[in-house]
Amino acid sequence: MTSIQIHGLTKRFGDVVAVDNLSFEVAQGSITGFLGPNGAGKTTTLRMLLGLIEPTAGSSTIAGKPYQELVDPFRRVGAVLESTSFHPGRRARDHLRVLCVAAGLPVARADEVLDEVGLADVGDRRVKGFSLGMRQRLGLAAALLGEPEVLILDEPANGLDPEGVHWLRKLLRHYAGEGRSVLVSSHLLAEIAQTVDDVVIVAKGRLVTQSSLADLADRTKPGVWVRTPQSQELCKALASKGIAAEVQSAETLVALETTTEAVGITAAGAGVVIFEMTARHFDLEEFFLDLTTSTTNLSTEGASQ
Amino acid sequence: MKNLIHAELLKLRTTRMIYGLALAALALVPISAISAIAAAGRSGGGPALSTTEGIRNVMTASSSGALSVLVIGILIMAGEFRHNTATSTFLISPNRGRVVGAKLATSALVGAALALISSVLTLAVALPWLATKHIRVDIFSHNVGLVLLGGIAAMTIYAAVGVGVGSLIRNQTAAVVIALGWSLVVESLLVSFVHEIGKWTPGGAAAALTGNSSGRFLPMWGGAVLLVAYGLAFAAAGTRFTLRRDIS
Repeated sequence: MTSIQIHGLTKRFGDVVAVDNLSFEVAQGSITGFLGPNGAGKTTTLRMLLGLIEPTAGSSTIAGKPYQELVDPFRRVGAVLESTSFHPGRRARDHLRVLCVAAGLPVARADEVLDEVGLADVGDRRVKGFSLGMRQRLGLAAALLGEPEVLILDEPANGLDPEGVHWLRKLLRHYAGEGRSVLVSSHLLAEIAQTVDDVVIVAKGRLVTQSSLADLADRTKPGVWVRTPQSQELCKALASKGIAAEVQSAETLVALETTTEAVGITAAGAGVVIFEMTARHFDLEEFFLDLTTSTTNLSTEGASQ
Repeated sequence: MKNLIHAELLKLRTTRMIYGLALAALALVPISAISAIAAAGRSGGGPALSTTEGIRNVMTASSSGALSVLVIGILIMAGEFRHNTATSTFLISPNRGRVVGAKLATSALVGAALALISSVLTLAVALPWLATKHIRVDIFSHNVGLVLLGGIAAMTIYAAVGVGVGSLIRNQTAAVVIALGWSLVVESLLVSFVHEIGKWTPGGAAAALTGNSSGRFLPMWGGAVLLVAYGLAFAAAGTRFTLRRDIS
């Protein structure tokens, strides 16, 4: 089932197109990583999804409805948007109590979530004394108050120490395990690669790719890229030697998890002509960087034309 | 709506801002009352205590916290943008008009509560002192009761006007500076020198409410209607134009 649906979402700020005809979906019970470099339009997209920013075009729904039309939205959707949206002079527990009262939740939830995010001991302290990591935890506590079926987090790992990031991963995993959906943005793939099921990658406000993390990982296995006029023949020859390969076009092919030597010997044995051959050793992070920077270049070219 | 109003009251109770401003509002009351009584009948002071005017003048001390109350109203609204708490407020209630409604109601409650205490303080200072001067004061008379009631109405509405100003000018500092500059400078000048315009300003309306019987202002009911209209117009304009803007 689809939990979040974003359709043709566009936001223009004057001449700047922050989000450009973006569409993607988040499946129920999954954790989706929303990835892109800084300035890719992630925050704007999430704020449009939550009804805080009016889109220039397009629409978005959570559980089938626009956020503004949800009944008791705070119980349906929990959001962590930034680490600065607290009154500095208010105590952490009071901040949560205010939200409970406004949303019609029992105020006892404040203490429960403080405990859940590990802030039980500092609930009586004013937020101005909080570190960035503590603010992130408090923001998360606020999002958990209504025990929502959808969690939306904007760069939640910012300011968290490694132990905090580890804790966050476990928490999100646990949440998704209960059949809830999580959409979590980040500019670092590595930060969430261990946690997410699916990834949505954006750059310059546009969708680069949406896929499962497993598919993405497949596309990034080390291998050998070959340019040959006989790609079909080479693919068969490689298969007969137990080397998996994908024909990408009439003239190109990628042989997976192998070496240039193995491909060269196989090609010679099969009498296949090779024009060009390169070993690829990229990891997921490099692939992500590749994807987002190539789109960045494309769109700057597009803009200058 | 009830939840939102409760939440607004809890917001106020959980920061120190309200206590400071409430203290400022209330501290002004005995000071005004004392100086009104002490200066009454002297050159540069108000009319003599033996006159109706003199008693009314003392009773207007009960609304001397009006500007503090106006600032409280502004902070209730504009403070949401100052500290970015507007994000979570509007996530809980995506209907921004309802949030403004809750804030109008909350500020009016706070204004009314402070005004009630101000009235009691005024009487607590004035009655014993006037008694020593052998001036009998009937607190249910026009001169006292009506002035105090008018003061309560003025402060109640002033707080709501503050919310209207804060919704129109999202920048908290700008909103406070503009509101105080307007009230203390522009409005005073208008009331003093261009009275025909001055009596139609929010301050002029408040003066009509707080028992300025000189006939130079609107009648009391007129002042009340005009002041409420200002508050609602600001809030409606703010909700329609300023608050609909993106929260980022």
